[in-house]
Amino acid sequence: MEKEQKDEGYFDKTQTLKDAGMIEFSVPCHRPSSSEQRKEEEPHELLVPDLCSLPLTPPTAVDCNFTCYFAPDFMKPDHDQYVYRHPNGLCVIGLASTHVALKGNRVKTVDFNVGKSNRSEIKVSGKRKRNAQRFEPNTALCKVSTSNGDTSYIVRCCVKGSLLEVNERLIKQADLLNSSADREGYIAIIMPTPTDWIKAKNQLLSLEEFKKLRGLC
Amino acid sequence: MAISNEKEEVISCSKVGVIVEAKEAQISTGPSEGEAADKIISDTVLSLPSHAILDLLSIGVCTRCIFRLFGVRGQIYWSSLLSPTIFAPLIQKSNGSDDEHSKGLESEFCSICLGILQFGFSKEKQNLVKSELINNVSEEIAKFIKQEGHEIDSFSLEVSIPPIILANERSVWLYLKKKYGSERWFEEKFHAEHVTVKDAFKLAITSSLETLLTAKSEISSSSRIRLNHTHSKASLNLEKESVENADGANVKRGAECSEQSNGKTDAAIQRSLSRLQDHAFCERFKSPPEKVNEPCKLEIICNRAPIYIGGRYLKYSRNVSQSRWLIDDERKGEASVEEIIGSNILPVCRGDNYKFHAAGREDIDVRMLGSGRPFLVEIQNARHVPSEVSIGEMEEKINNLREKLVRVRNLQVLGSEGWTLMREGETEKQKQYAALVWISRPLEDEDLQTIASLMDMSILQKTPVRVLHRRSPLDREKIIHWMKIERMVGSQQYFLLHLCTEAGTYIKEFVHGDLGRTYPNLGSILKCRAEILQLDVTDVKMDCFN
Ligand SMILES: [Zn+2]
Repeated sequence: MEKEQKDEGYFDKTQTLKDAGMIEFSVPCHRPSSSEQRKEEEPHELLVPDLCSLPLTPPTAVDCNFTCYFAPDFMKPDHDQYVYRHPNGLCVIGLASTHVALKGNRVKTVDFNVGKSNRSEIKVSGKRKRNAQRFEPNTALCKVSTSNGDTSYIVRCCVKGSLLEVNERLIKQADLLNSSADREGYIAIIMPTPTDWIKAKNQLLSLEEFKKLRGLC
Repeated sequence: MAISNEKEEVISCSKVGVIVEAKEAQISTGPSEGEAADKIISDTVLSLPSHAILDLLSIGVCTRCIFRLFGVRGQIYWSSLLSPTIFAPLIQKSNGSDDEHSKGLESEFCSICLGILQFGFSKEKQNLVKSELINNVSEEIAKFIKQEGHEIDSFSLEVSIPPIILANERSVWLYLKKKYGSERWFEEKFHAEHVTVKDAFKLAITSSLETLLTAKSEISSSSRIRLNHTHSKASLNLEKESVENADGANVKRGAECSEQSNGKTDAAIQRSLSRLQDHAFCERFKSPPEKVNEPCKLEIICNRAPIYIGGRYLKYSRNVSQSRWLIDDERKGEASVEEIIGSNILPVCRGDNYKFHAAGREDIDVRMLGSGRPFLVEIQNARHVPSEVSIGEMEEKINNLREKLVRVRNLQVLGSEGWTLMREGETEKQKQYAALVWISRPLEDEDLQTIASLMDMSILQKTPVRVLHRRSPLDREKIIHWMKIERMVGSQQYFLLHLCTEAGTYIKEFVHGDLGRTYPNLGSILKCRAEILQLDVTDVKMDCFN
């Protein structure tokens, strides 16, 4: 059993197929009562969920498991980054869809060899996260170069903390940033201390604030 | 001096059968056999040096301690026949009608064994019991065991005595050596190999306890009866003395905690006593020892080794955790498998406490169906070992609780082997799941074939983000043995995914991909976004409690 906190009730808040009139009512919307379940030795009926209660489009794993924060114009105009905070304290860092590098550009390369060390060569190990480097919010994580001339953009930590991993898949598949910057195109995972997180959080925008700022509503 | 050790205890317990005979002879027989026993005893009395016996009696040594010190063996001497009156002929012979000796004896407890071998004891808030009758002690023990509700068919006996007794014994020995060391009997009979107080007490009590408890005394019994004798004041003095004497002096204990001397300090005291030279011993301890007017305090402890009740559990709720789970004193989930099962088993076994062990675990929001998951409940100090019938009733009760959150199957009582059984069964397991999945495009018939064609597929899983804060960052290769898509009537994008995987595969991450950190994942295989809404374990393949 994993001790993450999970919003157990999120299905109720979402529009259901029934609400949306998407299913025919010939389908019995019926869940076996608990006494029926017990007598039923064949568990198959137990496994089939009640379609009526399912959302039309379920929330994504990112929506369910993280709280999304944003750092707009981080160090430079239009350098918008996201910070997805897991209840366990870890922060996933990446490029927001509004980041200048993603605007009409194809990302050509992602280079983790920035600063004093190559970020993709730090091998963190053990429960205590040996070798993890402590970085400042403005420490560079990687350099993203686009097909648009020689333009390159520095991606930064945004929060102070230990760097646990960078997304090595980006070295060979830089285009993940174009197809899925908010999922498979994440840049890095950082573990801030609780106090550092409180400080960092004050500098970040919530999803709603960010949408308002960028006119995404 | 003979100090009892494991070996001796084995021997003493094997003698039990003989005592039973002696006792039976005493209780149920005609006068001729009783007279025979009397004769053995009086012959033995006559064979001892009378002047030394009288000396010992005058310094307050009890009958059984005298017999012990003279190396008298044979179970009859620890039976109730051995009353102080057996020495009356000796006393009369030396002093005519002087019965001061015997009067003096009555008024105090043995200066060596502190009354333990006179079967006298005191209990908390209770006046002292003075008897010479072993049955008084064993009745007290039997009463306690009945009160506590222990149901036992065998027991192993442990006896602890105050360490001062060892000093008393040595002090008496030195006293006799000084006075009679040159006499022939001292060399011949008064040697070091005598029966210890502990062993003599065990010899005396075992058979009557067996009768009263209708239980056999067995060294390997899982029910342990411990008889703690303490004599607070005397123990305290000795402890201070000898501990200060021990070279390190680092074990100096406060007076408050030394009253109940535990085994460790006993051993330390024994060691430091034996290290003490005779002259040094005499400086510290009176020889002969002081007379005592107060018997030992008797503490009875009965404890059964853990019993195990094993089986498999099913969990029908997505809001029930496996173990009791509190975060900042706030309960997570409405109940726990541990508590539902434990709270129904414990009262039947009437144990002190229980511990719940399971072979692996599922997330709180994952149901456990099908075969169920093997578990063990360890019951500490169970008073009652449930029969097959009451195990069946227990199973029935749990399965018919008002809220059907949890069920159990194949409930059974196990000995200590239960643990090994589960440990061995735990290895090499496969697990089968049913996941409710949504994909970002309509499901095609082709997808069903694609998925069904993947057999024993390797995937690479990075430690999931949700546990990465407390687990090592690792890339683990896992095998998805097979998968099958079951369409759901009325939906194009929802379906059930049945899959069988190697133990330790993170299923939720395999479906949604965990930011691409599990690869390939269901979404990458179907070339779309995949989300998991519900997960059920449908089979745990394990070789135990099937
Ligand atoms: Zn005695």
